[in-house]
Amino acid sequence: MAAGFPSRAGRMVLDRALALLLVVALGFLLPRFMPGDPVELQRASDLDLGLAAAQRETLRQEMGLGGSLGEQFLTYCAALLSGDLGFSVAHAAPVSQVVAGALAWTSLLVLLAFPIYLLIGPWLGIESGLAPERPLGRGLLVGLSALGSVPPYAVSILLLWLLAVAVPLFPLGGAEALLPPADPLVRIAGVLHHAALPALALATHEIVRFFFLSRGATLALSLRPFVINARARGIAGWRLRVTYLARSLAPVLAGRLGDTLAGQFSVVLFVEIVFSYPGIGLVIHEAIRARDLALLQGAVICLAAAILVLNALLDGLAGRLARRG
Amino acid sequence: MVCSVPAPGRQRNSPKRGPAGRRPALRRLLGRGLGLAIAVVLLVSGIGLPPPATGPDILMAPGFAHPLGTNDIGQDVLAGLLAATPNSIAIAFLAAAATLALAILGGLAAACGGRIVQALVLRLVDILQILPSILILLVVAASLEPGLVTLVLLLALTNWHDDVRVVRALILRELTRESLQQARLVGYGWFYLSVRHLLPPIAPELRALALESVRRAALKTAGLGFLGLVDPQLPTWGGMMQDALGHLTTPAWAWLMLPPAVTLALFLLTIQRLSGDPSGRTAAEAEA
Repeated sequence: MAAGFPSRAGRMVLDRALALLLVVALGFLLPRFMPGDPVELQRASDLDLGLAAAQRETLRQEMGLGGSLGEQFLTYCAALLSGDLGFSVAHAAPVSQVVAGALAWTSLLVLLAFPIYLLIGPWLGIESGLAPERPLGRGLLVGLSALGSVPPYAVSILLLWLLAVAVPLFPLGGAEALLPPADPLVRIAGVLHHAALPALALATHEIVRFFFLSRGATLALSLRPFVINARARGIAGWRLRVTYLARSLAPVLAGRLGDTLAGQFSVVLFVEIVFSYPGIGLVIHEAIRARDLALLQGAVICLAAAILVLNALLDGLAGRLARRG
Repeated sequence: MVCSVPAPGRQRNSPKRGPAGRRPALRRLLGRGLGLAIAVVLLVSGIGLPPPATGPDILMAPGFAHPLGTNDIGQDVLAGLLAATPNSIAIAFLAAAATLALAILGGLAAACGGRIVQALVLRLVDILQILPSILILLVVAASLEPGLVTLVLLLALTNWHDDVRVVRALILRELTRESLQQARLVGYGWFYLSVRHLLPPIAPELRALALESVRRAALKTAGLGFLGLVDPQLPTWGGMMQDALGHLTTPAWAWLMLPPAVTLALFLLTIQRLSGDPSGRTAAEAEA
C-alpha cells in the first residue's frame, strides 16, 4: 500500500488536471464560435456609449479577443495561472471577485441542504424499509418515486409557489433584504430566512436518492440476525431505528457522499435561477444571457476546479475509511 | 430507433405461450403492435413540427378556446404540448441509442483492444467521469443553441462514458464463454463475433442501460430547454417550462408549468416501469 500510494495520488492529480484543462479549452474555444460578436453585442445593448473604432479595438483587446486564436489561448492560460480570470463587462468587476462572492452564497445553500437530506432521506428510507408491505412503506415508495421523476426546477417552482406565494412564509427570492439591517444577528436571521427555501429545494433531489439507498440497505439489514433478534426481543421505535439501523447505514451513506457533490452542483444551478439566488448558478445563467464570455469561462472553470478538489478530498477520505474497514 | 426498445419484450413473451394460449398471445401481440404502431406514427409525424402560432390572447387561463390556456406570446399551451412531446421523446430515445452505440464501441475497445488502446479508453472515461457532464453540456449548448440532431449528438457525447465500464465488464464476462472461444478458433472476424456471440447474451443489460440513458437524456434536455439553451424553433418540454419562470407570482405559472412538467414526470415514470426496477433505485442513482 505504501509503495502504491504515491503513484495513485499522482495519477489522481494528473486525471483531475487533465479534466480541468478540458474545461479550460472548451470554455475558451466554444464561445469564440458563438454567433454574434461580443463587442458588437455589448454595443447593441444599453451599454452603448457611442464608441469610436479605436475604442472598440481597445475594448476587444481588454476582453482578450485580440490576435490569433493560438495567441489568445496562450495569453489566456498565462493569465489563468497567475490567478487573473479577466474582467466582467456586465458586472463592471473582476471575474474572480464576482465568482468568489457567488461561490460563497452557493456554498451556504449546499451546506444548509446537507443536514436536511442526510436526516430526512435515511429516516424515510428506514420507515419504508421496515414496513415494505404496509401502506406507509408502499406510499413512501410511490411518493418518492414520483418526486424523483420531477425535474429540480419544477420542484423549486412548486415550493416557491406553495411557501412564498400561496402561504407567504418565506421571501420570493434573493439572498437577503435589499438594505441589510445593521444588527449582525438580525442580518444572519434574514440570510437564513432567505436561504431556507432554496436549500430545501436543493435537498429534495438528494432526499430521494438517500431514501432509495437507505430503503435498500434497511431491507437487507432486516434479514440480518442481529436485527431479527432485536425485533424479536421487542426492540422498536427510535432505539431500533437509530441504534440498530442508522448506525449500520452510516458507512453506506458516507460512501455515496462523493457522488452527491457533483449532483448538487447541477441542481443548484436551476434552484438559484428559480429563486434568483445570487450564487454561481445564477451568475452562469446571466453570463450566458449577456454573452459575458470572460465571466462564463471564469465561473465554469472555478466551479469545475472546486468540484474536482472537493471530490478528490472525499475520494481520499472514502478510500481511507474503506481501508480501515 | 424509437420502437427498438419495446421490441425485445415482445419477442421474449411470445415463445412462452403454449399451443392453447396461442390465440390470446397473438391477439395481444397484435394489440400491442397496433398501439405501438400508432404511437410511433404519432411520434414520427410530430417530430419537427413548428412551434404553435402566436396570437393576441396572451396569458389566458384554461377555458373553452384554449383548454390548457396560453402563454405570454399567445401560443396555445395544448398545441405547444402536442408539438413538444414528440420532439422531447424522440430526442431522449435517439440520444440513448447513440449513447449506447458509443458505449458499446468504447466497451469493445476497452475489453478487446490492445493494451495501449485499453489504457487510453479507460483513462479517458475516468477523466470524463470526474466532471459533472452538465457543465460541459452547458458551455457547449450556450455556444451552439442546438437543434434536434446537434442535441442528440451532444447528449450522446456527454453521456457515453458513464456506461463504458459496465459494458466492458459485461463483455469481459462473455469473452470467457466456450461458444465464443470456439467461434473465434473457427476464424470469424471481430464484427461477426460481436454481433452474433458477444452482444446477444448481454442484450437485457444493454436494454436496462439504454432505458436509464433515456431518463437521463430526457431530464438533461428539459434542463437545457428550461435554461433557454435549445434552439427556440424546436418546441420541447423544458422550453415550455421556461415560460413559467417569468410568471411565478401570478396564477399563470400553474398552466404554463404543470402540463409539460406532468408529461415529463409521466414519461420518466413510464421509462422507469419499463426498465423493470420497481424500487427505481438505479434510475434515481443515475440522475445524480
